[in-house]
Amino acid sequence: MTATIRLGASLKNLLGSQAEFIVEPGHKVRETLLLLGIKPELVAMVSVNDEMKDKDYIIQEGDALRLMAVIGGG
Amino acid sequence: MNGYAGRILRVNLTTGAITKEPTPPELARDFIGGRGFGIYLLLKEVPKGADPLGPQNKIFISSGPISGMMIPGGGKCDWTTKAPLTGGYASASMGGHFTAEMRYAGLDSIILEGISPKPVYLFIDNDKIELRDASDLWGKNTFMVEKQFKEKLGEEYQIAVIGPGGENLVPYACVNHDYGRQAGRGGVGAVMGSKKLKAIILHGTKSIPVADMTAYRKAGMALYKACKDAEGLKDWSRYGTTIVVSWCDEVGALPTRNFSAGSFENGKNLYAPVMREKIVITDKGCFGCPSPCGKYSRMKKYNSNVEGPEYETIGLCGSNLGIDDIESVAQANLLCDDLGIDTISAGNSIGWAMECYQKGIFTKKDTDGLDLTFGNVEAVFTLIEKIARREGFGALLSEGVKRASKKVGQGSEKFAIHVKGMEQSAYATHNATAMLLAYMTCDVGAHHNRAWAITYDLQVGRELVVPEKVARVIWLQNFRPMFDVIGGCRLQWVELSIDRELYVPALEAITGIHRSWEDLEKVGERIWNLTRLYWARENEDFGRVWDLPAPRFYEDAPTSGATKGQITKIEDVNLLLDMYYEQRGWTTDGLPKPETIESLGLKAVVA
Repeated sequence: MTATIRLGASLKNLLGSQAEFIVEPGHKVRETLLLLGIKPELVAMVSVNDEMKDKDYIIQEGDALRLMAVIGGG
Repeated sequence: MNGYAGRILRVNLTTGAITKEPTPPELARDFIGGRGFGIYLLLKEVPKGADPLGPQNKIFISSGPISGMMIPGGGKCDWTTKAPLTGGYASASMGGHFTAEMRYAGLDSIILEGISPKPVYLFIDNDKIELRDASDLWGKNTFMVEKQFKEKLGEEYQIAVIGPGGENLVPYACVNHDYGRQAGRGGVGAVMGSKKLKAIILHGTKSIPVADMTAYRKAGMALYKACKDAEGLKDWSRYGTTIVVSWCDEVGALPTRNFSAGSFENGKNLYAPVMREKIVITDKGCFGCPSPCGKYSRMKKYNSNVEGPEYETIGLCGSNLGIDDIESVAQANLLCDDLGIDTISAGNSIGWAMECYQKGIFTKKDTDGLDLTFGNVEAVFTLIEKIARREGFGALLSEGVKRASKKVGQGSEKFAIHVKGMEQSAYATHNATAMLLAYMTCDVGAHHNRAWAITYDLQVGRELVVPEKVARVIWLQNFRPMFDVIGGCRLQWVELSIDRELYVPALEAITGIHRSWEDLEKVGERIWNLTRLYWARENEDFGRVWDLPAPRFYEDAPTSGATKGQITKIEDVNLLLDMYYEQRGWTTDGLPKPETIESLGLKAVVA
C-alpha cells in the first residue's frame, strides 16, 4: 500500500535531500510534501505516472511520482 | 585557430563592399565569442552617440566555439547592436540552425554596417557572398519569405528575416528564423530594417578545426549521455518552458492584467497539460538539441500553425492581457512572429494600453474605436497588426511603454512595466527580491535570461533583502550569459541539471585552451562591466535611477492571488542596489570604479 516519489536532480540538489521517498497513498501531493519537509512552492512540476498533475492530486496506491524544481527559467 | 572558423565577414550596406578579416586571436582569447565579441566590437566600432537607426550603428552576429559542434545546445548565436528600444546595449540570443550554418560557411561573426540605398538580402553560400535585390520581398511577412527561400534553395539553407515590424522600424522588432526562433529583444529587427536588409541566407559545408578530436568526441558524448540520463528529460521535452506556467500562477509570478497581480483566476486554461492536449502537434528543437523545448501547435479555430507559445508568450500575450484561451494566445504568437515583433514587448505594451483604457485614460476615441477591455482577443490581434505597421493607435504602442507613457502622462508611467526602457518579461516581481534585482540590473533592460532567481527567493525567503541574495544574482549574471558567449543553450544545464563541469573538457578539446568555470565566470564579469560602461557612455544621465523597477512593484500591491497585499518597499529596493553596487565594485550611482576596471583588465578596452 505505497507510492513512490522521486525527486529530479534539480529539486534534489536544491533541497540537499535523498532522491526517493516511499509514501502512503490517500493524501494530496501538497500535504505529502509538507510531511516530507519539502516546501510545496519549490516544486514546479508534479508528474504522476508520466502525466503532469497539480498538487491537489490525491496520491493513489502504486503511483510513481516525479517532482521537479525549476532553477533556471526560460 | 582551433575552435574558430577564423574569419569575420564585414558587409558595408552603403557601398556594397564585402570583405573578410581574420578573427583576432586576442579577441578569441579574451572574449571567447558570442556576446563577448559583440560588446567588444560595439564599444570599438560604433561611435558614441550613434543613432541606433542611423548609418553609424552596426549589427554584430557572433557564434561561439561550441556553435555548430556536436555539443548539446550548440545552436545559439548572439546579435549585438545599439538598441533602438532603450538607447543602450542590446544582445539578443537566437537559436535554430543559423549559427551552425554560419560556422560551416567559414564565419565566426558577421558585421553589418551602413545603410543600403534599396532593399537587399545577404546571400552566403560558402565563399559566394552577395548582396541581392530584395525589392520584391519588402513588405512581406516573415513566414512567406522564409518559405519562399526554402522552397527555392532547399531546407539546408538557413534564413534570418525581418517582417513589416522591422521594416517600419518598430523599436522592439525582432529577427525571425526557422519559422519560430527569434533574435527577439531590444529591436535588432528595427536596426536590420534601418539598413534596408530584409534577410540573410546562409549555407556552408566547411569544417571547424578542433584541437583534440578524440577528446572532443568523448566530451561531447559525455554531455549527450548526461542529457539522455537526466530524469527531467521526458517532462522537459514534452512541455518545454510551459512547465512553469502553473507554478508561476501558484507562487504569484504569472503576470496578470498588466502585472497588477501574479496569479490569474483562469490560469488553469493556460497550463502545460491543457496546451499539450489542445494544440500541440509535435516537438521542435534547435541544432544538436537532445531536449527540444519548442512546441509546434495547430490552432484549429484559426486554421493556422505556429512554433509556440512558450512560457514568456503565454505570460505576456495570455494572462497579462486577461486572455484565458491557449489557442488565442498561440494565434497572437503567430501574428507577432509573422509580422516580426517581439511577443514580450508587444504583450507588455498592449497590457499597459488595456490598463489605461480600464482607468479611463484612453477611450475608444484614442484607440481607433477598439474596445481594450482585458480579455478582448480580437482587439489584441488588431493591435498587433497596427503596432507592426505603426498605424493609428498602434504607432503609440510601437514606441514601447517607456516612451508611450511619457507621451500620455496622467500617471500611466507608474504602471509602465519596464526597466531602462525594455518591457519586463513574464515574471511578476511584487515580492521576489532577488528576481526583482535581476530585472533591475539586467544589462539589456528588464529581461529574465541573465539571472533567474525566483526559486532562490522561495528557497531562502522571498521578502528577504540580504547580501547572499545579491551575491546569487551577481553569480548568475556572470555565469549564465557565458552560454551566450560560448555559443550554446543554457537550458540543458538549467532544466536538466546536467553537471556544468562537463562543458569544461568539451571547450578545451575544441579550442585547445583549458578554462575552468572560474575562468569563464571572470570573462562573464568582464563582459558585464563592459556592458555597464557602454550604457554610461551612451547616456549622460545614466546611473542609479536607470536601475529602478516599475513603481508597481514597490507601490501597488496585488489585490488578489498568491502575492495579495505584497510589495517590495522602496527602501528595500534601494538597499538591494546599495549592496549590489558594493559587491560589484561600482560607485553608489552604479558605475564601475576605476580600480574595478583596472582589476578586470578592461582599461585598454574602454580607453
